[in-house]
Parts: sequence; structure tokens; C-alpha cells
Amino acid sequence: MRDYAWRLSKNFQGEILAVPGKAIAFFFLLFLFFVPVIISNPYILRILIFASIFAIYAASWDFLSGFTGQVNFGHAVFFGVGAYATALLNLKLGLPPAATIPLGALVAVLTGLIVGIPALRLRGHYLALVTLAFPIILTGIVLAFPNFTGGELGLYGISPLSDSRVLIYYIALIVMIASVLIMWKLTDAKSTFVRTGVILHAIREDEITARASGINTTKYKLLAFCVSGFFAGIAGGLSAHFLQIAGPSNLTLFFSFQPIIWTIFGGIATIYGPVTGVYILYPLMEILRGVIPQLRMLIFALILIVVLLFMPQGITTWFRDKIEVECPRCKLTNVATRQYCRACNAPLHLEQRLEQR
Amino acid sequence: MKKGLVALLVVCLVAVALIPGCQPGPEGTIKIGVIGPMTFVQGEQHWMGATMAADEINEAGGIVVGNVTMPIELVQIDSNEMLSVPDAATAMEKAVTVDKVDFLVGGFRTEAVLAMQDTAMDHQKIFLGCGSASKEQCVRVAEDYDKYKYWFRITPINDNLLVMDSFLILDTVISVVKDELGIEEVKIALLMEKAEVGDLIVSACEHLIPAMGEDLELVGTWRPSPTATDVTAELSAIKNSGAHIIMTYFSGPVGIVYAKQWGELEIPAASAGINVEAQKMGFWDATGGKGNYETTLNQYARIEQTDKTIPFFDKFVAETGEFPTYTAGTYDALYILKDAIERAGTLDSDAVVIELENTEYFGSAGRIVFTSTETGNPHDLMWGPEYVTGIGTQWQDGELLCIWPPVDGSWNGLVYEGTVAYKVPPWVIDYWEAK
Repeated sequence: MRDYAWRLSKNFQGEILAVPGKAIAFFFLLFLFFVPVIISNPYILRILIFASIFAIYAASWDFLSGFTGQVNFGHAVFFGVGAYATALLNLKLGLPPAATIPLGALVAVLTGLIVGIPALRLRGHYLALVTLAFPIILTGIVLAFPNFTGGELGLYGISPLSDSRVLIYYIALIVMIASVLIMWKLTDAKSTFVRTGVILHAIREDEITARASGINTTKYKLLAFCVSGFFAGIAGGLSAHFLQIAGPSNLTLFFSFQPIIWTIFGGIATIYGPVTGVYILYPLMEILRGVIPQLRMLIFALILIVVLLFMPQGITTWFRDKIEVECPRCKLTNVATRQYCRACNAPLHLEQRLEQR
Repeated sequence: MKKGLVALLVVCLVAVALIPGCQPGPEGTIKIGVIGPMTFVQGEQHWMGATMAADEINEAGGIVVGNVTMPIELVQIDSNEMLSVPDAATAMEKAVTVDKVDFLVGGFRTEAVLAMQDTAMDHQKIFLGCGSASKEQCVRVAEDYDKYKYWFRITPINDNLLVMDSFLILDTVISVVKDELGIEEVKIALLMEKAEVGDLIVSACEHLIPAMGEDLELVGTWRPSPTATDVTAELSAIKNSGAHIIMTYFSGPVGIVYAKQWGELEIPAASAGINVEAQKMGFWDATGGKGNYETTLNQYARIEQTDKTIPFFDKFVAETGEFPTYTAGTYDALYILKDAIERAGTLDSDAVVIELENTEYFGSAGRIVFTSTETGNPHDLMWGPEYVTGIGTQWQDGELLCIWPPVDGSWNGLVYEGTVAYKVPPWVIDYWEAK
């Protein structure tokens, strides 16, 4: 037992603390766990709860579009289906949130299949346009059956996740961490645990070569639609129970574009990039609401333009490149300030390598 | 190292300065949050109405709470509700927990108002609705009084009553059309945008118009999008259907498109119903005068609904350059709140709710009394000749005039001073006379 703890501690030091990006993520998550201890203001907790929910939503878009290149302009359909299914299961069958959210996410998986199958025949702009149509179709269905879907008013009176704001905060946070970790692992090209990461990377880079290598790309792209739909559905379900309403506003074009903005801002094809994007941009919008409410959308747009102009790979990738350096010999990640690799002692920077020669 | 610390300090100072609500408000004021879509005309009118009332109340000394007189401090809260419901609920929470408002007025989009209502009720804050017409908010008061009793609707009348008013205006238009065109049987076409209220009115029309009399015939229903930029196809079809009257419902910009094309094409059918764009001062210019004779259900015109209507209307136009629409009902909301607080002698929400329930206030839009807790929709507006009625207005040569309740007093003998007769467009008369 002691040996196991010692090994865990060593791994933690070597894999987390020694890698600046991972260390920052770890301490940020640790900070998030202690937020309710420091701040009890329900408004701040509400912002962070929404940030957690939207982080799942944005990461699910990145999983599909960032990793497989299946550009989805109608991601709100998964969020909306998750929210509506959750609301209906709760209101019509009286199921508790612990059952409605996963079941709602499964309905979103089915939607992923429905969207994915026709979408697989298309690529690029054509695929993007087709995905754009799905939330519009669903909005039409919602408005066509107002007795079942609540029409324009939406479905309300959904039971809350909990009566305690702090408990809701922890539920959202833990679900977010678990969802992001699963998606991150599924997309990790270096993982020895699952092969999906390397396959999804291969499909995005060159689908024909991937197919020539014997990969069933159709199966994996469909899988990406389903996994993405599942997590977006989880986010939709959490949102429905937290807001106690699921309405057509979940299906708007604005709501479909939000995860794209968060992801591109944070760093596409990273999973943690969109999470960073949400945790920066969502509270930023709230701060702007308090300072200059009338101009906040304009300032938001300006910040986005400036960031994309100077950090086209997203803020996370830009920042990671500043603080981390990969060893050219053993590929281990080091702090950028180190001169030599912490494992193989190879020179990390070009100048040192030239000097050694 | 030193530079790093200075940078950290600057960041901390900026962050603290930016955290909303860090600046304390003046002591001894009553903070009223005006919440609405502030970048849209509906939110602007929320703010204008509330500002006018707050200025007047403060100039008169403020609100007497027990032995203390307290001025009103308004807090503007942009709900962003047109784009995001989560934003609206978050804005409400900020208003209550960070800005520490004592009361709230406003709200517009029903889906967002339902979410904001939940948040306000969780904090036991009185929320006077001034925009959403849905009956559901008041039904919630009946279903769970202890939680939702802090909600009251000030404007507009609920959606069922809006439909009722539309039919009453239609009835007036039918009788004028019969007289002017010399016809016995009237054909009616429905032209209503695809929206919840539109669905409700279409459904009501399809059931009620045939029941209103054998002399009425429904010739068809056309449903353009709220953002359609062309309705000539619909108008041509209506012309071919032989309709004498077009019953409308437009809440979006299609209202301008419709009125302009209806006038340009001289469609031989009188227009009656709801056209939100026609309630605005800019309608005349937006249609290039082609919207002449367009008729719409409304809340305000320069008529004596009460002795407060004309002074309010004139002052609002002078200060803002706009006609007041129903979201400017925040003006009455603040006075109703003032009276209730003064009667209660405290800012305690529960005590003020009891006094609000006993409200009888002659406001700018009529006599405001709330429905009792024994009804299925408590805390809603009482409607009728002795209460708030809503009005019908028609554009006549560049002026927005009241045409309902009718000038002949045929609706319960009620006539507001300044009301005129409904006018059938001359091209409609010419067309049917030539037939």
C-alpha cells in the first residue's frame, strides 16, 4: 500500500507537477473545488455552474469537429434534444435528475445517429450547411406540437438538481471533469488505453489514407457523432434541471455558434482548449455586463478578433507553447525555462544543440 | 520579481474594480431593478418608463416608508433575453444578490420571464412583469402561492384577453365595412405570423368567426415568418380570395413589410388586428406613409383612458421622441409599488405583497386592479370597461388615433375622449363600389 502511494506520488510529481500545462489545470480544478468555501454568493456560483455546463457542451463540439473535422454548425440540436428529453422524462414520467440526464443524453445519441448517417455522405461546406438545418428542423417540430413540447414557452416546472446551490455546483463540476477527462482520453493519440485518439487524428489529417490503412472511417465518424451528442445531451440535461426550463432558445443559431467561438478562442482539437475558452469568456461576459452592459457584445467581439489575430491556434495553445517545450529526443514535455530535458538530459533549445555540436 | 509583483497588483486592482456591484450604492435608497432586453426597443421602453416615474417620485420627495422618506435608485439590468435564457436568469440573480435590488420591474420574452420569475421567487423578491403576456406566470401563482406570490403583471393584459380585444376590434371593423361597402356578407382572411400568439389567434378565429354569425366567412389562413421581407404572394392570394377584411397578427418586422405592401398594392381589404410595429412612432416613416389606415391593438394613444394618460403620453413623447408602448408600463409599475410600500410602511416583501393585492390604481393605461387569489390566475390584470381595456388604434394621415372602444359607445357605453371613427381605406371602397 505504502509502495503504491509512493509510486502515485512520484507519478503525480513527474506527470502533473513537472508539466506546466497540467499543473495549471490541476491547480485550477483544485481552486474550483474550493470556490464554495471562499465564495458563497449564488450569482458567482451560478456563473461557474453555467461555465461547467457550457464547458461540456463546447468540449463535445471540439470532440466532433476539432478531432474528426466534421464541422458542425448545428450543435445546439444535441444540447436541445438533451434538454427537451430530460424535461419530458421529468415532467411526464416523474423521473429524478439522476435518471433523466443520462436518459436524455441517450436520446441525444440517437439524434447523433440520425444526424450522422446523412451527414457522413457530405464533406466540408455541404456538411456544415446540412448540420445547420437540424436545429431549425427541431425548432419546427417543437413549434408544431406545442401541447407536447410547450411551443414557444418551452417546458417549465422541471424539478431542480438540488435545493442547495453548492451541491448543484459540485454536481456540475464533477460531471464536467468526468466528461472532459473521458473525451480527452478518447482523443489522446498517445494513449495505450484506447485507440480512438490516434484513429480520429488520422481521419482528420487524411481520411483516404486512414481508410487505406484498414480503418473503418464511417464507423469512427459515426462514433464521434454519438459521443459528441451524448456529452452535449448531458450538458442540455444539466441546463434544463438547473434553469428548470427547456425552451426553443436552446435551439437558436446563436446557441449553435457559441461552442464554436469558445473552442476557437481556447484552442481547437485539444478538448481542454474549449474548457479554457468557456472559463475565460463566460465570466468575462458577466463582468462586462456589470461594467458596460450596452457595449459588452462589441467588446467581446473585439477581444475575440484580437486573440485570433495574435493567437490563431487559440489562447491555450499559444500559452502552452510559451511555457512548455518538448524534448526533441525523448518527446517528454519540459518547462520552457529548462535548458536540458528532465529525463534524458538532451538540450531542449536550438542554441544549446548548436553549442553542443 | 518586483515587476511581476507590480503587474500582479495591477491585475488584482483591475479585477476588483471590474467585479460588478463592488461600488456601494447610496445609503437609504430603495433600489429598483429594471430588467429587460436593453439593446432592444422593448428594454429601452422599460427603462424610459421607469426613469420618468422615478424622477417624478424623487422630485416629490421619494417614497414614505414608515417615518422615513426614501428616494428611488434605479438599476438598469440588461437581461439579453432575446438571445439567451441562461443570461436572463443570471442577470436576475446578479440584480438580487450583487446589485441588492429591493424590487424588480420588467421582463419581455415569455420563455426568459419564466426563468427569471423562478430566480426572483427563489429570493422572495417582488417582480412586477411589464412585457410578457403569457397567462402561465399567473397560473403559477395559483399553483404554488407561497413561492410565486411575489409576481404581479402590470402590462400587457394576458394573451387570452389580447385575443378577446382583437375580436372586439374586428367586430367594430366588420360593422364599419358593412356600412361603407354596403354588403351583407363579409369575407375575412387571416394573415398571422408563425408564432405562439399567432397560433392561439388562428385557432380562436377558426372556431369563433363562423360562430359569430352566418354573414361571416373565413376565406383562408396565411402564415408568413415574423422576419419575412416580402408578403406580396400572400396579399395577392388574399385579394384573389375576395376577402373584405384581413385580420392580422404581427409582432416582428414583417409588420412593416405587410403594411407597406398592403398600401402599395392597394389590396382591397380593410386591415385589423395586432401589428406591434404599427404601435411605434417610426412606423409612418418606415412604411413611407403607405401604412396609412393600418390598425392595431395597442395600450397607449393620446386619449383620456384616465386623467394620467395624456400627461404621460405627452411627456414620454417629449422626452424620448417615441410613442410609449406596453413595456413602458414600468411607469405605472413604479407608482403602484410606491403606493403599496407606503401602505405597508415597510420594504418587507411579504407585507408589500399583501398591499399589492389590494391595489386599486388609476394609471396611465386604465384602472389597475389585480385578479384575486381565488381565481385560476391570481395577480393578473382585471380587464373590462371599469378596469384596463386595451385600445384599438389606427394610423390616419400620419397620426395614430384610437378607434376602439368605438366612438359610438356600442361597447358597454365606454368611449375614451379623443377616440375617432374607424376609416375604411378609400381604395377598398373604390374597388368594391366598382365591382
